[in-house]
Amino acid sequence: MNQQQDSHSRPGPSGLRRPVLEAPFLRAPEDARTVFLVTLAAACAPLAAGVVFFGWRAIIVAAICVVSCAVTERLYYRVTRTPALLGRTHAYLTGVLLALTLPPFVPWYVPVVASAFAIVIGKAVFGGVGHFVWQPALVGRLAVAVMFPMTMNPADWPLLARSRLLVGDINNVRTVEDYHGWRRARAPRGADGFRLPPPRTVLAKLTRTAASARARGRSEAAYSALAYAPDPNTVPEARPAALRPPPPEALPPINDLLYGARPGAIGETCAVVIIVAGLYLLYRNYIRWQLPAAFIAAAWCAAAIAPIRLAGPNVTTRIVWYPLMLEGLDVGFTYVNYQVLSGELLLAAVFLATEMTSRPVTTGGQVIFGAGCGVLAMLMQLYVAVPIPAYMAVLAMNTLSPTIDSLWRPRVFGRRRFEFLRSPNR
Amino acid sequence: MIFSRYGSFTGGIDLTDDKDRTIAAPIRPCRTPSRLRVPLAPCGQAPAECVVSVGQQVAAGEKIAAAADESAVDVFAPLAGTVSAFTSVTVAGAHGRAVSPAVELTGLSEANGIDRPEEVFDWRAADAGTLRSRIASSALTTYREGLEPLARWLGRARERRCGVLIANVMEDQPYVTAAHRLMVEHGSDVLQGLAILARAIEAGKVFLVAERRRTGEYRGTARAAELHGIEQVALPHRYPTGEDAILVKILMRREVPGGGGTMEVGAAVVGASACLAVYQCVACGLPATGRVVTVSGERVAEPGNYYVPFGEACLELAGDVMPPVIHGGPMTGLDCMADMVVGPATDAVLAVEAAETPTAGPCIRCAWCRDHCPTRLNVSAMNDAFELAQIGRAERLGAMACVECGVCSYVCPARLPLTQRMKQLKRAIRSREAAATRTP
Repeated sequence: MNQQQDSHSRPGPSGLRRPVLEAPFLRAPEDARTVFLVTLAAACAPLAAGVVFFGWRAIIVAAICVVSCAVTERLYYRVTRTPALLGRTHAYLTGVLLALTLPPFVPWYVPVVASAFAIVIGKAVFGGVGHFVWQPALVGRLAVAVMFPMTMNPADWPLLARSRLLVGDINNVRTVEDYHGWRRARAPRGADGFRLPPPRTVLAKLTRTAASARARGRSEAAYSALAYAPDPNTVPEARPAALRPPPPEALPPINDLLYGARPGAIGETCAVVIIVAGLYLLYRNYIRWQLPAAFIAAAWCAAAIAPIRLAGPNVTTRIVWYPLMLEGLDVGFTYVNYQVLSGELLLAAVFLATEMTSRPVTTGGQVIFGAGCGVLAMLMQLYVAVPIPAYMAVLAMNTLSPTIDSLWRPRVFGRRRFEFLRSPNR
Repeated sequence: MIFSRYGSFTGGIDLTDDKDRTIAAPIRPCRTPSRLRVPLAPCGQAPAECVVSVGQQVAAGEKIAAAADESAVDVFAPLAGTVSAFTSVTVAGAHGRAVSPAVELTGLSEANGIDRPEEVFDWRAADAGTLRSRIASSALTTYREGLEPLARWLGRARERRCGVLIANVMEDQPYVTAAHRLMVEHGSDVLQGLAILARAIEAGKVFLVAERRRTGEYRGTARAAELHGIEQVALPHRYPTGEDAILVKILMRREVPGGGGTMEVGAAVVGASACLAVYQCVACGLPATGRVVTVSGERVAEPGNYYVPFGEACLELAGDVMPPVIHGGPMTGLDCMADMVVGPATDAVLAVEAAETPTAGPCIRCAWCRDHCPTRLNVSAMNDAFELAQIGRAERLGAMACVECGVCSYVCPARLPLTQRMKQLKRAIRSREAAATRTP
């Protein structure tokens, strides 16, 4: 069973030996390179959104990622004298995906190190395209998250002001008091933007810390406050003012999370663009809808069910299950959507978990894989203090995807269901 | 009107039609060839015993070889001419290419079209036994891929008590229009042949399955179908609806077990050419000496549907174009060797735009092969099993269920020869089973 049997040759019409061709004689136009290029083009959409919201430094980070991925791949194959598989296209794709997961303010050496890890450890040591176990870009992202924890995960993250989009310098930001949503905020004098705690930190503060609730002189109002944090410019006062607790400081309106005006990595903030790019990939048949849908739905359900610690009446905290149902569905929905949109979960579901090589092949396996990723990501986000829970969940499930593939077997044509379990020579 | 509901199948692809060149071209006699090399073993198994000698003059329709046993058929001279030599040729037999001894005829009479002779035998009044014996003595074959003598096919169908007979004129592969033209021009003869076969195997239910886009042109056959109790079914063109196992799944909702034929679930499948040949042979007493072949493709100078005598060289029929020339449909056909001749299984000779041989890359696990596989096989896992030579694993994963439709190779973005590898895996599994049954 080797290559020679694939292309045995027989004498041709003119006496020359030509390889005997085998059916089918028609081929679909799309080859692996096209697949990578189109995925790359789709990944450029969240990148463009990131460049808009985080300024020109984002594009420099992306450029460094792409160039150093390509150079690392070239060097690896030059040094080890192995033939490069499928050229540099996949290296470019890895570079862009890696740039999507990196914060925009990182110094130049972070993307370089991340690219080196992504290409060498993530991809090349397994044998290149089609053979790796973990999504290479995430391997690089995890490596730099471990190596530069302070640089990669500061307490406050920068965000450009409306007036300084695209041209602002993301490193030229100030801490602001009294932030009530991005559309209302003005850039501080002499700066291009503000320094904010990321939404997830605010959420944790709201739901977890009894001390903060006590300091405001109320017990559970902090959690309820979630429902009353719409964009004050667009949403009219829906409820009587007496019933409405004051909005918590620094909790951005949920609309900001949808269109991407929140602190975060370059590609992970703009939910709308990520979803549109994902729809394009669906249209091209490069991903199946079941995987991202299972990912997001599982994360949503986990956030709706998993217990949270709320501030109790006194200094105590209490554990509450079903936060979705806790104080009415409006509060619950806002809370759950906040949890889903506040991190890198959407980008992971659409672009990173759907990486062809490291996800299961069968559709049912992909549902299991996606659901596992979603639950794991949400549980880590809620209970484990890690900077990149969704990415780590994807990496963890990548490890399991060969197992899922061998356990989940759709019924083959002409066989009974679960016949493979009864096979005697198994 | 009563609509029947039918099943469906998962996967499949939408292929381009590409039949414009020949879909409206009437069946014509082909250019008279300079020589014919008539294969004595068209099914690729035991050859018939030659009864002519070199230099002998033969008339059109004269028997030139007599079948010795059940696996061979009598061979007749397609055209009048002189026996000039005994050679060997390649034909598409029961299991792909096969080498067959052949009789070379030269100094040939002019090639003819499809005859419309008088009926010499009233098949409508005949009973099943009489029809079976007439078919058994008629030296016909099944005229499809996996060629075998029609008498043996009939015997198997009787043995399996097939209650359903399906005439498959789907022709779902691009370029091929031979069966379509037969239905348009000789539709009632085809249906009579089908009715003869149905009576011979005593089938309770007879289907004529056509592609939905072509049904408008088969209206002329509707009355004949009604007369003979044939149910006409139109199915969408999603490839591979025309594969026998898939067709049986759609019509009967029964899945053929892996490695078996459709007769295991009680369905016999024939093509239009076989039906026409049965009618001409049983009712009119004509020997089978030729068939309709679609000659098409971008590189062919004169595309069309030709009635070609058996033994004409495929490359000459295509007009001596550069290889590759395809024998059969482009999804399941064979690469034409120089000595390949037209046999009963040749439904098309195509010279499509020469695609460069793609270089296979590593599997990127895109899962398109699995998504489009009509038998729901995990083809990428099969590919792993092939590369690691794990035949047992491939068998457990269900490799024998593969219908070899070519969809996985078609969609594979890594350009892996998946269909070819599946065929090799199946061959390896079969030989291992044969060895296992031999040892104890």
